[in-house]
Amino acid sequence: MATTSSNTPTRHEPWFKYGVATLFLEMAIAIAVSAYSLYMTFNGLGGFPGKH
Amino acid sequence: MKMHKVEQLIIATVGFFWCFLMWFSTAAFSPSIAAHYHLSLAALGLLASSAIWMAPIGRIIAGWASDRFGAPRTFAVILAGCGLVSILSAFTTNYNLLFLERVIVAIAGVSFVVGIQHVAQWFDAQEIGTAEGLYAGTGNVGAGMGALLLPRIFGTNYHAAFIWLGAIAIVIAAWYLLRGRAAKSIERRATVQRRSNVRGTVFVWSRYIAIALMLAYAMSFGLEIAMNAWLPGYFTRGFHDAILALGFSGVAGLQIAAGTFAAVESFCASLFRPFAGYMSDLFQQKGWTPLPFIARTLPYAPRLHWLGISLILIALCMIGLTMAGLSGSLHASVLLLVLLGICISFGTGGTFALVPLLFPDRPGAAAGFIGGVSTAAGIVYPLIFAGGSNIHLGYLHAAVYMFVPIILFYFWAARYERHPEEHGLISPALLATEQA
Repeated sequence: MATTSSNTPTRHEPWFKYGVATLFLEMAIAIAVSAYSLYMTFNGLGGFPGKH
Repeated sequence: MKMHKVEQLIIATVGFFWCFLMWFSTAAFSPSIAAHYHLSLAALGLLASSAIWMAPIGRIIAGWASDRFGAPRTFAVILAGCGLVSILSAFTTNYNLLFLERVIVAIAGVSFVVGIQHVAQWFDAQEIGTAEGLYAGTGNVGAGMGALLLPRIFGTNYHAAFIWLGAIAIVIAAWYLLRGRAAKSIERRATVQRRSNVRGTVFVWSRYIAIALMLAYAMSFGLEIAMNAWLPGYFTRGFHDAILALGFSGVAGLQIAAGTFAAVESFCASLFRPFAGYMSDLFQQKGWTPLPFIARTLPYAPRLHWLGISLILIALCMIGLTMAGLSGSLHASVLLLVLLGICISFGTGGTFALVPLLFPDRPGAAAGFIGGVSTAAGIVYPLIFAGGSNIHLGYLHAAVYMFVPIILFYFWAARYERHPEEHGLISPALLATEQA
């Protein structure tokens, strides 16, 4: 893999770690809601929140 | 007054979230509106489809306006204008007038490109993917939240909902005007404003790489909105017996199950989008360039590779959906659908991590073209899905006849090792643009 784009470590500003935390939280919400919805549906109990 | 870029990101995200909430508020109350005005199924379908009518041309104009007048002014006009008409629509008693007013309120959906331009004017290259991803992904949730929460909060009283949505939009418009700043520096703002002319727009539209990114967005976001409309019908027809075997009964039960599968795909496509932008930043930081043909020495080359990988994954998921459908496995089909939603987010997040870097002096015009024209794909895909002899084959047809050519064109357009934006249908010299 060749690259010349960036060979030095990037120093991020303080906001960046909160931004990354937020995006991981959003991913966790997506996984949790999807898992809950699919569990409900595959067991014939209901569906996505609001689709009962 | 010193402004922090995180504040600008929050203002843009809140404005976009609220615009998407307004955009899909008509759909959330369409059963109530249909009952109130005794609408036929055809009229209800027309009302539902009207939400997307203004998106292609509206986003192009909004992108140009954000370059010309600055994102805060443009966003405030969209919020206040749509908010005002939303309030008016609450007092309307004639259905034709209500329909027209709701089409105008749906203009709120064009705000996406304005916020993209705003964020691009504040964040630096190494963090642009994460910043744009947080903006677009979090704001996108507004559409889903509208469908989930509005009917629960307001019941069938859509009049009250339209008033509240409009009033809060006007408040956010005032906040945007008061605290929003168009760019990080006066020089940055002046450069973008100076280049917001017809020649600059034609320049962007005629670049091979801009066309490739527009097609990439059509393959990701265009597919996402098409799947929202297509999937409930697909699962109801394609997996009718399998859904009934889960314990659901009747049309209502089929709708719950099929609607859930569609909602999960859409939810993942929205909420994984910030992660996709972060991955673009990570590719950039690590210098990963694993794909053949695509440029490796451009300052943003790793981001081109991340988007290329995303497009390939989308095509593979589509082929997998056909195979799962033909095998009759509902579980495999839903699993692939979730994966497709995640890969779509990789495509959408990957595209807009690149746009501001490729066209730093025309971010609004580029975002308008790429984010606007691509939405028309949402109309095309369902026609392909429905056109085959077998309902499961549509995904394979779309992958082979549309996605493979798009991916090949992307690889071709992204192969230039120096200034890919200089290559296009019209020579930059002919347009006499001021290239940096």
